[in-house]
Amino acid sequence: MALEDIDLRIRTGEFVFITGPSGAGKTTLLRLIFGAEPPTEGQIVINGINLSRVSGTKLDLLRRKIGFVFQDFKLLSRKTVFQNVALALEVTGEKGSVVRKKTHQMLRAVGLAAKEEAYPIELSGGEQQRVAIARAMINDPLILLADEPTGNLDPDITREIMVLFRSINLRGTTVVIATHSRELLRNTDQRIIVLHRGKAFE
Amino acid sequence: MIAQLRLWSTYFKHALSSILTNRLIYTLSVGTIAISLFIFSAFVLLSVNVKSWIQGWGQTLSISVYLKDGIDEETRETIRAAISTLQGAEIKGYISKEKALQDMKGMLGSQAGLLDGLTRNPLPASFEVAFRNTDRKSFEPKRIKEVLEKVRGVDEVQYSEQWLDQFKGLLDVLKVAGLAIGGLLCVAVLFIITNTIKLAIYSRRNEIEIYKLVGATDWYVKAPLLIEGALQGVLGALIALGVLSVMHLIFSFKVIQVFGLPLMDFVFLSKEYTLGTLFLGLLLGLLGSLIAIGRFFKF
Repeated sequence: MALEDIDLRIRTGEFVFITGPSGAGKTTLLRLIFGAEPPTEGQIVINGINLSRVSGTKLDLLRRKIGFVFQDFKLLSRKTVFQNVALALEVTGEKGSVVRKKTHQMLRAVGLAAKEEAYPIELSGGEQQRVAIARAMINDPLILLADEPTGNLDPDITREIMVLFRSINLRGTTVVIATHSRELLRNTDQRIIVLHRGKAFE
Repeated sequence: MIAQLRLWSTYFKHALSSILTNRLIYTLSVGTIAISLFIFSAFVLLSVNVKSWIQGWGQTLSISVYLKDGIDEETRETIRAAISTLQGAEIKGYISKEKALQDMKGMLGSQAGLLDGLTRNPLPASFEVAFRNTDRKSFEPKRIKEVLEKVRGVDEVQYSEQWLDQFKGLLDVLKVAGLAIGGLLCVAVLFIITNTIKLAIYSRRNEIEIYKLVGATDWYVKAPLLIEGALQGVLGALIALGVLSVMHLIFSFKVIQVFGLPLMDFVFLSKEYTLGTLFLGLLLGLLGSLIAIGRFFKF
């Protein structure tokens, strides 16, 4: 069992790091919050909604309120930067003009306005992660989950990405970052949750 | 409502883009579906035509009423009157013994001399009777035969039902063969569509994962796949019907040329059958997609 007896409360607008060695259950915890897998026991409540009581389309709709960023970015190589970000709005059935406007705005916010028509392969790792963050943020999520978001990036780019996460948090979005990078945790005053052998410690 | 329309337009866009990306596989798939549905609808077309020919012939069924030798004028008129009471019956002519012999001589041609040795004319006189505009189902030649053979002076009644029965047998064989082949082809078409959609899902699995990640509903992912299947089926059916109509044009022309039978119409499939074939293509496409989707997605 990856996680056991976890009793965790993350408040709205909080910035939280989840850390622990590989295999400690960081990714599992994020996947549980995202509703990608159900807990074998217990409950997960997000914004007053008990995840074990929603399924199907309701769960899909709830996921629009949770952004997810990955270490490997998960961008579509055949789509441009603009299309990669816009698709998160398109799935909601949003009007084309609104999709275009919000996508432009979001790409400006992450500093990629000049690269809208580029394909992921033409971007650096840091830029690709910015695209992934823009996609995760375009639906104004309540929570932004990030699984080792800087795992593939060098220290300078890592710093830039962390600044971006902080600015997102300052606008009111709850940010939960899973990382095993000591560098990332060294100079932070944010809450740190340590997972060890499936249990959580603070 | 407008958001729904927008989503549907996105589903179609996704489906078309997937078809364009995997165009070779789709072309092969649509081609195979077209061939399968063509064979199936060709069987239907043949059955429909054989049925319509039989029905056509049935409307002008004829019987021959042979008379006993030596009957007088009065008896002959009684027989004529008995025939006239039959529904739809029309006496095409009275063939006397002499005329019958003459006709036979004519038919034998140069061999007519064979009949010269006859001491008496063995051929009976007869009434040739046609039944016009008679519903084939209610036409009962056996009963007519029984009724007429009881009339005094009638020797025998012969009708063309026996060989029509054989044609009906052929129609039954066509129907069974069509159903069997059609059933097998439907299974094959289903298999092809399922596999094409499976390939589409494989080639788009990253995309599908990301769609789910950003909160796409199951329907958002499945609808384009269903559209792809449906388009394959309908397109295959349209091509099959197109080829069949061209073949029908060529073949109906040849029938007239070869047999010199302009009255033997080679009809095309009725509107119901045409729509039925399209619907079958659509149904197989949707079903194939559903099977592929069911095997891959357990959201």
